[in-house]
Amino acid sequence: MKISTRSMLLGGLTALALTSAALPALAQQKTLKFVSWQKDERGVGDWWASVIKEFETKNPGVKVEWTKVERGAYADTMTTLFAGGKPPEIVHLASFEFQKFADQGWLEDLSPYIRTAGLNLDGWAGQDACQWKGKPVCIMMLYFGNIFAYNEEMLKKEGIAPPKTWADYVAAARKLTKDTNGDGIPDQFGTGHETKGGGGQYLSELMNYTLDAGGRWTDSNGKVTINTPQMVEGLSRWKDVVKNSLTPRDLSAGETRQMFADGRIAMKLDGPWLYPIIRRGKAKDQIKIAVPPFNPPLGGSSNILGMASEIPAESKKLVWDFIAIATSDKFQTDYATLAASTPPSPRAKTDGAKAATPHFDLLVQTAQAASKAGVDRIPKGLEIQYNEFAKMIMEESQRMIIQDLDPKVVAATMQARAEAIQKQ
Amino acid sequence: MAGGRFSLDLARPSRQHWLGYVLLTPAVLLIAAIIVYPLFVSIDLSFQNVGIARLDQPRRPFTLANYERLFSSPDFWNACWVTLKLILVVTSACCVLGLATALLVNNRFRGRSVARLLVAMPWAVPEVIAVVIFAWIFDSSFGLMNWVFLSLGFIDRTINWFSDPDAAFAVVATTMIWKGYPFVSIMSLAGLQSIPEDYYSAARVDGANALQRLRFITLPSLMPVIGVTTVLVMLWIFRDFSIIYVLTGGGPLKATQTLSIMTYEQAFSFFRMGYASAVGVVTLVICVVAAKLTMRRAPDTL
Repeated sequence: MKISTRSMLLGGLTALALTSAALPALAQQKTLKFVSWQKDERGVGDWWASVIKEFETKNPGVKVEWTKVERGAYADTMTTLFAGGKPPEIVHLASFEFQKFADQGWLEDLSPYIRTAGLNLDGWAGQDACQWKGKPVCIMMLYFGNIFAYNEEMLKKEGIAPPKTWADYVAAARKLTKDTNGDGIPDQFGTGHETKGGGGQYLSELMNYTLDAGGRWTDSNGKVTINTPQMVEGLSRWKDVVKNSLTPRDLSAGETRQMFADGRIAMKLDGPWLYPIIRRGKAKDQIKIAVPPFNPPLGGSSNILGMASEIPAESKKLVWDFIAIATSDKFQTDYATLAASTPPSPRAKTDGAKAATPHFDLLVQTAQAASKAGVDRIPKGLEIQYNEFAKMIMEESQRMIIQDLDPKVVAATMQARAEAIQKQ
Repeated sequence: MAGGRFSLDLARPSRQHWLGYVLLTPAVLLIAAIIVYPLFVSIDLSFQNVGIARLDQPRRPFTLANYERLFSSPDFWNACWVTLKLILVVTSACCVLGLATALLVNNRFRGRSVARLLVAMPWAVPEVIAVVIFAWIFDSSFGLMNWVFLSLGFIDRTINWFSDPDAAFAVVATTMIWKGYPFVSIMSLAGLQSIPEDYYSAARVDGANALQRLRFITLPSLMPVIGVTTVLVMLWIFRDFSIIYVLTGGGPLKATQTLSIMTYEQAFSFFRMGYASAVGVVTLVICVVAAKLTMRRAPDTL
């Protein structure tokens, strides 16, 4: 087949003309990438969707490409995106992982934007954790306090009142753990914790007990303080609960929540996200929510919103618009209602949330109690090494349970290993 | 094309090899881009003190620190030991089961096609689905295995399959064997079908019984197939990640932490990509040496 030069030129010019006509239309359609693990989460996912809708309405021609990445693969995916030079413009990270990204210089210093917009962050829960090398690199999206949920029917059946202290709690857990169908396998548990999976969740579960015993991983100066009588007591409690199988073993956090919601676990200490799961469970009518029997309750920062530093200035302006919407009084108020969680903004109105979520005051109360006690899941001085620290704590705790070690010895080992991790 | 000013006559005997090069070029370029280049990047990273690697960043100074740290790390030697144990247990079990099932379905009997399908089925099941099935079977609280063992009176209390180092290793090995033996079976079946029937007829005439026919005809004839299959199974165990990661994450107490899990953990949990690259490079070297030794030692016949 022969193609003449004239035909080729004509074809080329036509293609060029068509492309030129299409380019302005394409240029008008700008896209901001937003990756999140919360996309399909009932409540909070709906809230993010409402923020995106508002942003797209306010910025015609700009689209937010919202992609879900599972929590288990989140750090890997985000690291790969940033390292490959293609980060999402809108950065959503867990509060225990953003430090690595900030340390690489991948998160934009938000202080000029905050200053220009006049965003008042006084009293914004957990915002201190977003300071990196003296600069705010993110906005805290949730600071929570653990609630205590219990199956009233199961407790009543055993003649147990809702526990108010560790002693009450462990006695109740022992009584409520049983084999109900006589096949030799316990199928009802006093409490439920994740004992399989990542170090971060394991650390959080364990902290319910160490905090109540007065133990802390580090002090306010970041000095490791694990080898203390309080921490030994906390570890002993954890050993008691896990070794005696008062919790089902080797389940993920999601599985234990579902078991609790379905009436196979009697008591559960968890964050505000437990409530939407309870509402879908078989035992929803039997479950009551109360103040945790532990003091202070576990609490802490959860997730942050930030801006990638290596994006064009025009995109940065748009990302800030997105952050401004998410942090506005209106959307913080909506957050309380839709996500049934405590909004970090002190200006959020929570009347609607109180009407929709009967225990909303309790969420506020526990978040404030945790905040007042300076509780956070991320120990001060170990932010960068958090993953390694959490993994180490999980391994040593597992060793304590598997090899039946004395918690005193375990606390001393943890202290030495934590100091070594900190010095790296 | 013929007769044109820039025509290239690939049919000319002196240029016939050019066609080979031309046809190979896309594949070579693709392999270079997706295998060779990342391999060199990984080797290069292993000699740098890098946290999170970025290709647009200037190269860090050359250092042997990652390798020094690696060889003095008990975690590394533990990962080597776990990998070796898995290779020994899983490879031998896969070979025995694979060969046995291949011999079984090589016979003529009613329902042979269904039997062949059942033997090959685990191979077709995606790894993640296999892992979910085994995670349920071995669930400590509600799993099938504890119920079966208790019902049969093998145990008097439930086993915490994923909280006990030995039990967790057994679960991982069992899952890998279930997933891996059909490959040996399929390869062996293909090998069995290529053995001439005359050999067996002659052996029968000479009075050889079934065991002798297996010992002196079947196994020697299958040795080349078994040798290659063993190497492939071994390499699969070396690089397998999803089964272990989803089932145990390498725990408890690093009882199931293989070299591939260690590489992943160092790179993506602790963000030490230089160190992780060093683990990866050493794993590659071990794989090459192990494959070479196995291939060399595998006799053509017994």
